[in-house]
Amino acid sequence: MEDPSGPRERKADDVLKKKDMITDDIVRGLSQALNTSPTDISLDLSLRRDLILDSLQLYEMVINLEEAYEIRLPDELLDEIDTVEDVVNLVYQLTTAG
Amino acid sequence: MHSDIEEMSESLVRIFENVLLTEEKSLSRGYFSDLSLAEMHTLTAIGPYEAKTMSQTAQSLGITTGTLTVSIDRLVKKGYVIRRRDDRDKRIVRISLTKNGKLACRMHSKFHRVLAKRILEPYGEEDRDKLLVLVKQIDVHVAELLARYEGAEAEEKIRSTAKEIADNNNLKDKKEN
Repeated sequence: MEDPSGPRERKADDVLKKKDMITDDIVRGLSQALNTSPTDISLDLSLRRDLILDSLQLYEMVINLEEAYEIRLPDELLDEIDTVEDVVNLVYQLTTAG
Repeated sequence: MHSDIEEMSESLVRIFENVLLTEEKSLSRGYFSDLSLAEMHTLTAIGPYEAKTMSQTAQSLGITTGTLTVSIDRLVKKGYVIRRRDDRDKRIVRISLTKNGKLACRMHSKFHRVLAKRILEPYGEEDRDKLLVLVKQIDVHVAELLARYEGAEAEEKIRSTAKEIADNNNLKDKKEN
């Protein structure tokens, strides 16, 4: 069946799908690292203050994301992130850049 | 009273020794206590991204490939490094970090960043800029000094090789005569 949505709607849909996929990966990774349920991890939580992620756990997540999405997340960029949503947006930006 | 030169000399030596000691102590108490500081620096020279050749890594560490091979053997056994032959040119050996190696490398880089952050923290923007200019000048000066020694070593090697050839030739001449 033909897709009734126009190109702009389809593009917005693609962005949402990709962001959802990245969000799922990050939430799953965090829930495993912190041994907690994925439902306990919401996008507005701070990695360091709310989830109390230590450096080792943070870098484990970073390395997994770098390998899964073939991106680089240097420390200068990691300094800028605070919440789970910041990580999702950063990974999304890097995967779509270039 | 201490002269400027004495103060500078003592501070430089102390900074160098204390940074090394702090690195060693933090390493021995951290997650990667099975690594020596030299091994950690080897991981840093390989880096967390694309694979490096043995000679590239040896050069950036300022050691011979023979010395590096011994260190890489240990790091492979400990599970920090992967060694594989290049797909196209089997003579070339490429080394890269395992996930654990990447983790160690990034944790160690963080140590350096925290150290730098703490040193800069008490200063305002203007003072930081001035401090960075001075530190970079010291860095360049010491690097030039090292290059001069390395140049002299290379020259010495050439001279001794030339001497060996001359001695061998003399020996041959004597035998023939």
